[in-house]
Amino acid sequence: MGASTKRKKEKQKDFQKAKLKVGKARPKPENFTDTSFKSKSITLNQQSLTLSAPSSASQFTHHLSLLTSRSDTQRRDSLSHLTTALSSRPTNSPPPQPTSVILPPLLPLLLDSASSVRTQLLKLLRALPATDIQDHVAQILPYVRAGMTHLAPDVRLSAIDALSWLLSTAGQDVVACAGGWIKTLNCFLSVLGWHTAESAKWSANRASFGKSGAKGGGVVVRVLTVLAEFLNAGIAPQDTTDSDVDIYSEAGGPWVFPLVQPAANMVAVGTATPYLYLNLFGQPRDEEGEMYETREDRFRVFREKFMPAVERGLEGARQEGGETGRASVGVSKVLKVAVEYSC
Amino acid sequence: MVKRKLGALEKVEADLPNLQNKIRKDPKSYIEDFRAQHYQYESHREIFMAAPTSANDTGIISLRELIDFISHVADCYPTITKDFPQQLMDILTQHHLVLEPELREKIVGSLVLLRKKELVDSATLLQTLFPILITTPSKTLRALIFQKILMDLRTANQKTINHKLNRVMQTVLFNLVTSDRTSSKGLWAIKLVRELWKRQIWTDAKTVEVMKEACLAENEKVVVGGVRFFLGGDKEREEAEDESSDEEAIDMGQVKHQAGINKKTRKKAKSVEKARAAVKRKERKKNQPHPLNFSALHLLHDPQGFAESLFARHLQTAKSKLNLDQKLLVLQLVTRLVGLHKLHIIHLYSYFQKYLTPRQPSVTSFLASLAQATHDLVPPDVLEPLVLKIANEFVSEASASEVATAGLNAIREICVRQPLAMNDTLLQDLVMYRKSKDKGVMMAGRGLLSLFREVGPEMLKRRDRGKDASMGLRSGDKREKRFGEQETGGIEGIELLEQWKEEERKKRRAEKGLASDAEDDEDEDEEDNWDAWNVEDDEDSDDSGGWIEVESDAEIELSDSEDEKDKDPSRPSKKAKQDGTADEKSESNDASKLENKFSTLATTRILTPADLAKLQELRTNAAVDALVPGNKSSRKQNSNAARHIDDPLTAEEIEGLAALSAGKATREERIARAKEFKTDREDHKSVTAKRKERKESQGKSTTNKEKQRRKNLFMTLGKAKGKNKRSLVETRNVLRAHQDRQKRGGRRGNIGM
Repeated sequence: MGASTKRKKEKQKDFQKAKLKVGKARPKPENFTDTSFKSKSITLNQQSLTLSAPSSASQFTHHLSLLTSRSDTQRRDSLSHLTTALSSRPTNSPPPQPTSVILPPLLPLLLDSASSVRTQLLKLLRALPATDIQDHVAQILPYVRAGMTHLAPDVRLSAIDALSWLLSTAGQDVVACAGGWIKTLNCFLSVLGWHTAESAKWSANRASFGKSGAKGGGVVVRVLTVLAEFLNAGIAPQDTTDSDVDIYSEAGGPWVFPLVQPAANMVAVGTATPYLYLNLFGQPRDEEGEMYETREDRFRVFREKFMPAVERGLEGARQEGGETGRASVGVSKVLKVAVEYSC
Repeated sequence: MVKRKLGALEKVEADLPNLQNKIRKDPKSYIEDFRAQHYQYESHREIFMAAPTSANDTGIISLRELIDFISHVADCYPTITKDFPQQLMDILTQHHLVLEPELREKIVGSLVLLRKKELVDSATLLQTLFPILITTPSKTLRALIFQKILMDLRTANQKTINHKLNRVMQTVLFNLVTSDRTSSKGLWAIKLVRELWKRQIWTDAKTVEVMKEACLAENEKVVVGGVRFFLGGDKEREEAEDESSDEEAIDMGQVKHQAGINKKTRKKAKSVEKARAAVKRKERKKNQPHPLNFSALHLLHDPQGFAESLFARHLQTAKSKLNLDQKLLVLQLVTRLVGLHKLHIIHLYSYFQKYLTPRQPSVTSFLASLAQATHDLVPPDVLEPLVLKIANEFVSEASASEVATAGLNAIREICVRQPLAMNDTLLQDLVMYRKSKDKGVMMAGRGLLSLFREVGPEMLKRRDRGKDASMGLRSGDKREKRFGEQETGGIEGIELLEQWKEEERKKRRAEKGLASDAEDDEDEDEEDNWDAWNVEDDEDSDDSGGWIEVESDAEIELSDSEDEKDKDPSRPSKKAKQDGTADEKSESNDASKLENKFSTLATTRILTPADLAKLQELRTNAAVDALVPGNKSSRKQNSNAARHIDDPLTAEEIEGLAALSAGKATREERIARAKEFKTDREDHKSVTAKRKERKESQGKSTTNKEKQRRKNLFMTLGKAKGKNKRSLVETRNVLRAHQDRQKRGGRRGNIGM
């Protein structure tokens, strides 16, 4: 009896399932062979012979390509890496890649959904050399405008910030480039809701779609400030001393080697694309997309199209009082100066 | 720092579909938001136009969404979006080659949507899409655009025919086909035209003109497409029409019945309403006059020129690039045109000369084409050598039975159309084949014989002529038709109508107890007809209308001798005439009766719609009678008459019963062939099964017995178990009760109610 039960149990044991417990290592099977070994030294057959990490230039391009990554932390980290790479380089040395290469992957990030990415992007933009930006304003502006009218209010706000940066670096180019004046002003009016008389009233029933964000009134203040900057760049009287060069004196401007009397030949000296206004290769432009290169042009357009709306809106903002009112005063001041100058 | 929590509304509201929804409800309040999105779209478009090729992820996807959004709400803000359609068209026309497929499709869809909202007109839309259809290498885009173009043309022509648009489109297609004859782009024109023709949207001569030009193209695909349209387009159209009329035969009674029984919900009520509307629509459609649809072959301008140039361009020249099948198609079209319009292309017959040998591939098609090209105005001396060649090459004792059958059938089909192509020695020789042992040859020989008994019995030997023909010859009834002689025609089936009228009249007179031959109350009969101008009124006016009125009695006495044959065309002046001409007419009538085979009915009175309806009915009746087996003589006569002049002659008809002469078919083959001919008869079933099926199809319930039998076993088990436990007395009572019930005839008793 005893022997048979024992044998039975033994037989059954083979078919019994081992109970597994959470967190416990799996029991080793019986026929387990331990293959670990100890050694005094490890020799690798092949190994990299470079002594240094990948070069900063290649890292830079790598991070540039990472900007289209799916995860927003990755994008943000790449941006911060690029920022440090740009800001930590010695002064007067060129950036690892030309700006024309850096900018295209950066621009779509203006519309990025993650706010951390956008703030980091602004930092990076500020680190870019200002002189290079001037040539790319026409490229940047559409993205900025798209951001200003974005559905999400946060994106709108950061686009306003980007515009502010752009104005501070290349204000004249912003207002003079193709579509830079009318379209941007339109966007401003749209952000502020000043397009029609009815929607400009503070008491109007503004069933605005999408909330204006956490700070509420803060946005309007910010927009008004940037609008003041924008108008200042566009229609404020400029000090004409340096721009009004004596046409026929060769000593008037810096010596540009192959050109003789550049101003007389209608060649703009300061820009990389002097014949842009001829629009030789682009799409035909309509009134909105036209370039308004001089202050007078811009002021004329402004007075025809935007003056009533802006004045109406400013009046409303002033009556609202508080911070908004104060910000609106800044805009009014710019307007007043411009009107006085041209009259 | 604590992460700020987004409110649920804040999260949800900031998407375009939601905004779109809100704009739909209240466009005025959301105008600022829409304006912002429009600027957004403008900026994205600018970005896109700067570099259309770079498939920028975020940029382009949101451009697609924006386009979708704006096109959906564009009708709310027409001033803001007035440039929008044009911008889309520009993007599409300039960049359709490099656009991302999804964006491309979205733009096409949006344009069609804008068309539906009437922000773009059809002509502009079609002028944008059509060039892309022709040029784009993308198959999916082509399919999409083709479908959209078709849909747009259909909707544009739905309520009334949009002549302006059609003309524009037809001109575009015409130019496409004619501008470059070597390119295969004409195929799109063909595809479009064929589809529209099938749906009866385009049915005019201009359409046919486009296809005609396609037939004369140099690209073989285009040629074949055009030719196929002429050969099969009309049939396709008829089939499509039949299909559309077949579908959804709604039984209104059943629908109402079910609505009465089932639970009453709003959905059910709606479906009943829908069914009622559908039935009403169908009724209205039925009452509408049938649209006059001419076949494409009839709508051709200058068929002679067309047939000649087709023949010269594709068949006669050695340079033609078409292969044999394609050539055959063209030949079929040419010969159909020749047969249908009775054209003269004399070269055509000599062209056939070299193809009429048994070794020629698909020779039966050639034979069919030749027969098709024959009509009674073709000079017999052109056809005679061809008939002779067929007889020599195909019909001989030595040749295979299929070959001989085909030859004999071809000769018969030629002679049906032009009997003068045959001479008597050849005919007498050929007729001998009716004695052949092979069934196909025998039938073909008999066919030839019976044909010539009708059209030219004097060419046959005396003993082959048969009774009818011999008698006809003797009486001078059957004469050989001269070349170019035309039969005087009439209205098909008018004699049937006349016969019917006569019978009706006799019946009425019998009812009234008058002699059936005497003069009828014609005037009143006619009155009756005038009353019955509308078909609907026919029934009641027939028996309750005029003829009980007694006023006509006087007239019967007046015009006693008049035969019923003469009816005056002018109704008002009738009375005056009758008195004067009564006796003259009675004399002349007998003489003229014999020779005047045609009915005078159509020439003497105006046929009312009721008459025409009856005529149609009689015609169909006659056609059905002819097909009923056992009615042999009439069937034979009708076999040729049944073929409409528009129908093509096919190679199968030339092959005829040749299939039967293949004696060595295996059993399986024979069974398969027998199955082919068998109509789809139902399986054999008992009467009960049939009844049950019928009941089920009518949606009726089953009998109690049936229900009992069908009952689930487990539902009956409990009761059956209980039966075991009954006491003897209980069992006895149950049995007694059962017996009693049987006597009475069921629980409720068979008391006759």
